[in-house]
Amino acid sequence: MRGKWFGVFAILVVLSLLVACGPTPEPQTVVQTVEVEKTVVETVEVEKEVVQTVEVEKEVVKEVTAVPAPAGPEGTLTMALSTFPNSIDRIQAAERQAANASTQLWDSLLWINDDGELEPALAYDFDVSEDGREYTFYLRDDVVFHNGEPFNADSVVLTWERGANAGYEYSYYLERADSVEKIDNYTVKITTPEPDALFLRLMAEYWVVLPPQYYEEVGEEAFLEHPIGTGPFMFVEWVKGDHITMEANPNYWREGMPKVQNLIFRPIPESATRAAAIQTGEVDVVGRLSSEEAQSLLGAPNVRVISYPSTRVYYIAFNNLTTGVGQPTEDPLVRQAMNYAVDVDAIIDALHSGFGQRAPGFVAEGEMGYGAVEPFPYDPDRAKELLAEAGYPDGFEMDFACPAGAYIFFEQVCEAIQGYLSGVGIETNLEIMESGQYWDLEAEKQLPPLFGDSWSSPQGEAYNRLVGALGGWDASYSAWSDPTIDEYLENIAQAIDFDERKQLYEDLQVYMQENPPFIYLYQLMTFEAANTRVQNYHPRGAEDYWLMNTWVAIED
Amino acid sequence: MQRYFLTRVGQSLLLLIGVLVLVFFLVRITGDPARLMMPREASAAAVEAFREEMGFNRPLLVQFGDYFLGVLQGDFGRSLHFKSPALDLVLQRLPATVHLAATAILFAMLVGVPLGLVGGFNPGSAVDSVGRLLALLGQSIPNFWLGLLLMLLFAVRLGLLPSFGRDEWRSVILPAFVLGLPTMGQLVRLTRSAVLEVRGEDFIRTAHSKGLEPGIIYTKHVLRNVAIPLVSVIGVQFGYMLGGSIIIETVFAWPGIGQLLEQAIGWRDYPLVMAIAVFTSLAVLTINLLTDVAYAVIDPRIRYGH
Repeated sequence: MRGKWFGVFAILVVLSLLVACGPTPEPQTVVQTVEVEKTVVETVEVEKEVVQTVEVEKEVVKEVTAVPAPAGPEGTLTMALSTFPNSIDRIQAAERQAANASTQLWDSLLWINDDGELEPALAYDFDVSEDGREYTFYLRDDVVFHNGEPFNADSVVLTWERGANAGYEYSYYLERADSVEKIDNYTVKITTPEPDALFLRLMAEYWVVLPPQYYEEVGEEAFLEHPIGTGPFMFVEWVKGDHITMEANPNYWREGMPKVQNLIFRPIPESATRAAAIQTGEVDVVGRLSSEEAQSLLGAPNVRVISYPSTRVYYIAFNNLTTGVGQPTEDPLVRQAMNYAVDVDAIIDALHSGFGQRAPGFVAEGEMGYGAVEPFPYDPDRAKELLAEAGYPDGFEMDFACPAGAYIFFEQVCEAIQGYLSGVGIETNLEIMESGQYWDLEAEKQLPPLFGDSWSSPQGEAYNRLVGALGGWDASYSAWSDPTIDEYLENIAQAIDFDERKQLYEDLQVYMQENPPFIYLYQLMTFEAANTRVQNYHPRGAEDYWLMNTWVAIED
Repeated sequence: MQRYFLTRVGQSLLLLIGVLVLVFFLVRITGDPARLMMPREASAAAVEAFREEMGFNRPLLVQFGDYFLGVLQGDFGRSLHFKSPALDLVLQRLPATVHLAATAILFAMLVGVPLGLVGGFNPGSAVDSVGRLLALLGQSIPNFWLGLLLMLLFAVRLGLLPSFGRDEWRSVILPAFVLGLPTMGQLVRLTRSAVLEVRGEDFIRTAHSKGLEPGIIYTKHVLRNVAIPLVSVIGVQFGYMLGGSIIIETVFAWPGIGQLLEQAIGWRDYPLVMAIAVFTSLAVLTINLLTDVAYAVIDPRIRYGH
């Protein structure tokens, strides 16, 4: 089944020049000769976009030549959002859609590029002290805010002073610093209470710099009405519930960016409507499509479908804190057995038409340390052996719960898992609960000892997800505590060195394979669609995107 | 008349308080907003601090008292999601909802009532058959399905109308048609049967026998009697529509109150959900009140409490 579906999909994919942002191959740059006017022949560097599909009989790779970028910002790019942003202030933007609209207005000192690496942004360089607690940032002196106010060290100080300890959604990411000190106009020193490996990434994402003069002059409310940053796009207007409009920043410090003149965000909460709006050309990019909608768009003219595995990882959790105490699942052999017992690939094929991939552990594809372990194979015989070895040759009985309506087909996934567990002698009493009540019980750690959920993590690292789901009593949604895991997580948090941190993630996954705190399930594909006139649009695994280097082909 | 009006106003206010109580406690049964508002990886301590700050850990009755006093002063609290006054958010969305509701009800009346009249005066005619078919379809087709289907046809296939939003005058056509269709169907059936019924009444026969012009009989005697059930149905439907249509507004990304409510429930944004619920009830109650007054104007028997 899986092969067939992927086969059909792949062929359609190639025919319609679908761009799948798979992990390999990387986009490359080719040199192409383009004839300009009639007599002049000029060599232009054009970015080549690579279409890659899942292997069928052999890997199919299709190259599409992109339309060259315009010399200056041109045209209008309209992005659909799937919910209403609560705020376009970066530290108040409560979820991904709001954050995506917000991001375009601002810059931080550093930037995470499309490959997940840190790059200099408003700071051209920085040093870290020996003890890993002091960062000295050297700031660019050629940057101005949208209103002409110059960017300098005061901007960084204001960002921290306004955001930390102020009760905003993401204040605690600013609170990771103890102090932010202006050394001179273009040097700041930031101190963290202890070595903090995630600090730079979180700073790159959440510490967007604000204009001190403007902020002081107009105050918080007016600032939020008309936010001003240093980012590639400038705020024009926000008609609540209808659209957010931005325009190109003509003085943007990144040379030759942005490449579209007008940027519009439009909330369209219903996915079927988004699928219609991309076909009519009313919007240029839509996200969060179902696999059926994505398939129906494959033949549509001027539409290309984009898919990538989302960083949301699905799992069935065990409990060793409350309801699971004294249960057979306290034995790691039993937990291993339950991982062997469930045919996750069959579930992905049957319920998600094959549009997903097994999660080998709790680190998602694209995150640091991914690939250190293989997923558990489906092996019911091995499961029975392990159960016998653990002293449960005839299985046992257990309560099991899943949320209703929270994730696509998740109720059915849980029913399938119930069936697979029953196949090795483990009888579960599955209860499907309304999701609001479910999450309350989950937070009170009063769900049955087996419960299903999922977790997404946007920072290019699994750390937040790991701490959140395995942090024991300290974490709101964790029902699992394991001192070895705690130790790993503590070390990861303090390991500033890249290779060291990666090694720790890999070792932790090996440990979590022998002592699984979950039945590992899958990551699903995320589907988006873009008008073919949109060039160089690269969404990332957490559905985040930057648009400063995206352009639209203008018809003559 | 005055006394009748005042009694009705009093009843409406009591109802409104009932709605307030009901919504307040119902919303809270669904769970704890503190956890939904905080990021998932926030520590248990941070969630508790938030709960403390928002006052969600106080006894429910205290919270209700606080809320009720606020509402009396026009303060519906701040939306948890948007962090701005809930009432402002509702009022921002009001023009779009009124626009859609008024267009839909107008369409339903302008199409439904004439079709019903023609059907009632000429039962069995071709127009009557068409009208009855439309009435049946209008009342039985699920509107989210019809909405998507019409969107695919008129926006995607034919490119005649926009598929979503409220950007231009044509934007309202599809959502208003889909929203108005069930009411239109109801009006066709109601008008038709009312005309048939009134036509058989004794006083119409009397009018005929005393030699009145048929034109006068129809306009002065038949229509005036038919108007009573019509006013009542139109009033009730319009009241509901003013509360915002969750499904239609969501399907067509129409920036109205219904769409806001759909999202607010998802965010468990208590103050916003309550503000919308109270506002919706207020709309229904006001329209019902006006309907009752209109009744009394049309039919003197009602005015005198018979």
